[in-house]
Amino acid sequence: MANSDFYIDNDEQTVLIIMTSGPSTPSRCATPFFLGSILSAMDAEVRIFFTMEGVRLIQKGIPEKLVAMEGGKTIIEFIRDAKAAGVKIIACMPAMPGYEINIETDLIDEVDDVVGGGVLADLILTADKVISF
Amino acid sequence: MTCNGCEFKPDLYYDDQFQIWVSKEEDGTLKVGMTDLSQSIAGKIMHLRVRKPGTRRPPGKPVATVESAKWAGPIPNFIGCVINEGNTQVLENPKLLNIDPYGAWIARVTSDLPVDEALSVFLTGDEARKGYCERAHRDDIHCERLT
Repeated sequence: MANSDFYIDNDEQTVLIIMTSGPSTPSRCATPFFLGSILSAMDAEVRIFFTMEGVRLIQKGIPEKLVAMEGGKTIIEFIRDAKAAGVKIIACMPAMPGYEINIETDLIDEVDDVVGGGVLADLILTADKVISF
Repeated sequence: MTCNGCEFKPDLYYDDQFQIWVSKEEDGTLKVGMTDLSQSIAGKIMHLRVRKPGTRRPPGKPVATVESAKWAGPIPNFIGCVINEGNTQVLENPKLLNIDPYGAWIARVTSDLPVDEALSVFLTGDEARKGYCERAHRDDIHCERLT
């Protein structure tokens, strides 16, 4: 690695990660949190927005048991690492009824906000970078 | 001394979660590193990147990022400071953080405030030892070093 690669020199940016993957594809469910943690540690303002099947990752009882790879950390541990690094966890309200998730009782404590589709649209239009998994 | 096999050094300064240590240098700068607790949680560290020398860091803005096979996150910062340099030896060989976390300092910084005033936000000595051991027991952290 070149010496200049040892040092971080980026501007602050906002990053939106749209998480649509869920328990049906466990191998897609760890990297977004890992990436979010690194970006947040590099001063980016990171939000992970859970929609479509992604909302099942923030449903109590699911991330505590789900692993992306056999023998690996659980998804709730990845979520907590990302939160500790400063990542905000946002849930999509319109996605909840389809998965019979009650936003009052069924979401993990790590969720920062539950919002409508219009907010997602705003986040997409105002973020410096948008990534979807 | 150790708690759950995690080494503690009473002469260093620590944040209240014992993620980092800070040492006071003779030239008035501060060195920052990872505690034995932190390196054990991270596991084998693959990459370390430090903020560019000369960069001003307010409290809350990390001084570096660390990446292992199973964990990624910041080296948090609790004081206003300017980055002087990263430890080239550790940047080139990050697993030194797993081998000797208190010898493998990560960054040297200059505090915005007089050093003793800046260090007042940290814990040290017996108070730090008590909190360090409490965290090791509460979170059931058992430290392991690479050799």
